[in-house]
Amino acid sequence: MQTLARSAGSGSVLINSVALAGICAILIVAFVWQFVFGELPCPLCLLQRVAFIMAGVGLLLNVRFGPSPLHYSAVMLAALGGMAASGRQVLLHAAPGDPGYGSPLLGLHFYTWAFIAFVGLLGYCAAMLAVDRKWGDNAIPRPASLFGGLVMWLFLLVTLANVVMVVLECGFGACPDNPVSYLWWQALAGAPG
Amino acid sequence: MVMMLPFLTGAIAVWCGLRGRRRACLWAWTLTLLVFAAWCRFHMTDPLGLPL
Repeated sequence: MQTLARSAGSGSVLINSVALAGICAILIVAFVWQFVFGELPCPLCLLQRVAFIMAGVGLLLNVRFGPSPLHYSAVMLAALGGMAASGRQVLLHAAPGDPGYGSPLLGLHFYTWAFIAFVGLLGYCAAMLAVDRKWGDNAIPRPASLFGGLVMWLFLLVTLANVVMVVLECGFGACPDNPVSYLWWQALAGAPG
Repeated sequence: MVMMLPFLTGAIAVWCGLRGRRRACLWAWTLTLLVFAAWCRFHMTDPLGLPL
């Protein structure tokens, strides 16, 4: 019986691991883009990253504890919040003649990609809730596969890297609407302004 | 508005989830959501240039 309970939703756990890897990929691409092209994320961009991290936490719980409607609801709430932040930014730059914020990737700006990704996450949760309808809630952690474990640790590393980055950019205060430099990085390096 | 705060609480949620402490993870996640909502309200008050 215990073996059956442990194997419950194992395919779903693998799918959630892949989805969490996707969240990691999104955050890593944004991170690499930021440093390679020297484009600092604006406050709304940072809030979209927070929403991705919150969505990732729900997926991580599915990997760690098995699929649960509670975990999917966390992903859906995060996706709704992310849609609000990214949709707001799309509308901010939708006016004719507005070049948008940052460089586009494959023809779309990052906030537009983010909006699409959050819509995709909502659709993903709707589909997975139907797939996982047989499994109830489980608060007991279960052993993760090698892939699941690696993805969860990668997600933690990416999240911690974002914590460090946002401190270097904004310090312990608010970020300017159009950031042009890393406030704390310059302060630590002793450079002016 | 301390921008690093939701990142910090989010990282705590990830850590707790990874360590198998679901209740603590969900509390940290909820705190992250509340801070996220407050920060959204702070950064999304400028009028849009579109007649909606």
